Amino acid sequence: MIDPTPGDPELVLRVTRLSKTYATRVVTGVDWALRPGRVHALLGGNGSGKSTLLKMIAGVVSPDPGGVIEIGGVHHASESYGPSAAAGGRLRFVHQDLGLVDDLSIADNFALATRYPRTRLGAVDDRALVRHVRAQLERRGLDLDPRLPVGLLRPTERTLVAIARAFDGVEAEPAILVLDEPTASLPVDEVAHLFDTIRELRGLGHSIAFVSHRLGEVAEIADDVTILRDGAVVGEGEISEFPEARIVELIAGHPPEGARARRPSGQTVAAPALSLRAFGAGPLHDLGLDVHAGEIVGVAGLVGSGRSSLLRGIFGDLPATGTVSVAGRVLPHAGTGAAVRAGIAFVPEDRQRDAAYPERPVWENLSAAILARYRRFGRLSTRRERADAPSAMARFRVRAPAASVPLAALSGGNQQKVILARWLRADPRVLLLDEPTQGVDAVARDEIHELVRDAAERGTAVLVVSSDLEELEQLSHRVIVLEGGRLVDDLRGDDVTREAITHAMHETGA
Amino acid sequence: MTDSPAPSPATSQSGIPWRSIAERYALVVLVVGLFVLFALLPASGAVFTSPQNLRALVSNQGVPLLIAVAAVFPLAAGYFDFSVGAVAASSSVVTAAALADFSTPLPIAVALGVLFGMITGTVLGLLIAYAGVNPFISTLGVATLLGGVIFAYTGGLRISAGIPTELTDIGSRDWLGVPRVIVVAGAVALAAWWILSQTVFGRRLYAVGSNARATHLLGVNVRRTQLLAFVASGTIAGLGGVLLLARNGGATSDNGMMMLFPALTAVLLSTIVIHVGRPSVPGVVIAILFIAVTVSGLTLVGTPPWVNQVFNGAALLLAVAFARLAGLRATRGRKKAAG
Repeated sequence: MIDPTPGDPELVLRVTRLSKTYATRVVTGVDWALRPGRVHALLGGNGSGKSTLLKMIAGVVSPDPGGVIEIGGVHHASESYGPSAAAGGRLRFVHQDLGLVDDLSIADNFALATRYPRTRLGAVDDRALVRHVRAQLERRGLDLDPRLPVGLLRPTERTLVAIARAFDGVEAEPAILVLDEPTASLPVDEVAHLFDTIRELRGLGHSIAFVSHRLGEVAEIADDVTILRDGAVVGEGEISEFPEARIVELIAGHPPEGARARRPSGQTVAAPALSLRAFGAGPLHDLGLDVHAGEIVGVAGLVGSGRSSLLRGIFGDLPATGTVSVAGRVLPHAGTGAAVRAGIAFVPEDRQRDAAYPERPVWENLSAAILARYRRFGRLSTRRERADAPSAMARFRVRAPAASVPLAALSGGNQQKVILARWLRADPRVLLLDEPTQGVDAVARDEIHELVRDAAERGTAVLVVSSDLEELEQLSHRVIVLEGGRLVDDLRGDDVTREAITHAMHETGA
Repeated sequence: MTDSPAPSPATSQSGIPWRSIAERYALVVLVVGLFVLFALLPASGAVFTSPQNLRALVSNQGVPLLIAVAAVFPLAAGYFDFSVGAVAASSSVVTAAALADFSTPLPIAVALGVLFGMITGTVLGLLIAYAGVNPFISTLGVATLLGGVIFAYTGGLRISAGIPTELTDIGSRDWLGVPRVIVVAGAVALAAWWILSQTVFGRRLYAVGSNARATHLLGVNVRRTQLLAFVASGTIAGLGGVLLLARNGGATSDNGMMMLFPALTAVLLSTIVIHVGRPSVPGVVIAILFIAVTVSGLTLVGTPPWVNQVFNGAALLLAVAFARLAGLRATRGRKKAAG
């Protein structure tokens, strides 16, 4: 175990009693330490608080008062900590999206993060910049022309360029590198090159902390691990103490007694409500799937597994191959309009960007999918739309002062219920849900689950993508697991548990 | 119901949204106030309220009304259309040239002018909605191009010979005491109002302007909706051009830019009237009256001619600032709800 003595010169980074509260507390009094020259894996499910913890250390999210962040022996009270303190402590971050501008050259991407060298006349000194960047790339063993646009690089090269950029300006003294899911967007066979670089950095005395969901990789590269669940540390120590099975158990936790999905009674004999054959979209290829009326099928998978592409492909928002049939009829490849006409409804993940009319009243948001119902002789009856809104709000448990207030005036949970209600009012044959309760409080979450179950009982086939495994366990009759664009597992009955889903997501292929 | 959100900023405690009403009808009150002011001022009063002046004041607004209404359609979908003035100018040249240079029968000449506007709008819509060309550049580019073509054809001279009196009568005479130009422009504006506020198409057009991605994910063909907005804009601007010919008795040889800016001002001002935050036909009518009353009054009071231009520019800036403030308030409400 890591020695918890304060001020230990052996520790390059230590956080003590670090918490973060938004609407609820997402990180609870976390103590965590990074030793010099070690690779430390930070593990946990979605919503476990590991991203928030890293963001607090990066100084981009301000922690609750009362904690301490200590870098290289310098103490910072959590309330006065910021990005400059992080940079001053030689802390270097590579975020999951890498922060690279694809259209610009490698050299420009370096200069944007630091500064452009100038000639004596004040113009940008391109030759000096290219020379400098070439030297930085060579230090990381990268033989790349700094004038290449970043967009032309392979995924691993992009990650390595981002790391080289993070180390620009770090000389002999040891630094701390924090990598947020560096392998999430990398093909499995390209990870080796990244790991060589990480080992080399460790050999030079630098310390590396990283987040990953791929447990096989963690065993391969990490020296220490820390496991978070529900915002608290539930396990920490050297990797040798943590076999994979124990990590999986700690990530998943123990399932509480409580709401479980009502299994559909009896065997369905009719044609499946939704049927995919040789289906491909985004990273997905050759996928076959049947969802029957009244069935709720959960979709699990890591980022990049193709779970969002599955929904967008079915809905016609993403070019797809193969066939999609609804109630036995093949859907033409004709965009979202054809999907809606066939009775498919889609509640997207990003409500603000993809679903909301925030400045429009609640009643208008509620009737957006069923306008045809209010049309008589070419005229839209706004009066009837408004008149129907209160009963729809009551039925779908939308709490708002009036139907006439703008959607933006509602809480996140109530906004989400409006978007769900918009589609449920259309009585869809197939309901596609992408992270239906993300960023929603516990009460609204239960209500949304209840609305989805009611819809299924009335005969809607539901496909729900969620990175919240507890949600999948509570809601789904069946869970399919995607990885690298393939369906790798189909869990049914008593196998629909968080442990089994976690296991299926992390075991296969990695 | 424990987590009921805060009441919307527009709703006061008593339940009657006074502040919202004040905000929505401020410009209407301003128009009436200005009218009373100019009617009472000794320098302008007698002439300002004379039937001749009032008649001219209203009749002169027929063409600007149509050009501004044309711009409402693309703006509802989220795009400024800088081509409306130039389309109107070139449609008037097309109709005038058909009549004067090719001796075309009047109905066909009128149809050609409107058709020209419709085709220009279609081209713009295809460029913007389907080819993804920047709308600012394409509408401004088309406006500049049309201005050049007009100059090339007319050589900078007005086409005024050979315009039949049936057409010019519409510009100068009355039907039952109402200027015909206002009857025609009013009928077109009424039709535009009906399409925008009473049909599913209108609702979808505003939905595209509010959140195009969300509208696409509701199964609406967003590109076709955007295309139709530009077709409507071009067609109405074309009608405006024919009306311009009727009113002036000759086709203009200017490039239409002088007609664009009042229209833009009116459309922007319309976003702070009645339906705050979105352009509308009733809003445009009030904005046009606001500009007309002010310009006429100021002229009669004896302000020098440059004041008109300064007023137009100031009104445009104020309209943008108010629209921005209204938008900011909406965003702040959204942030509050999200936080």
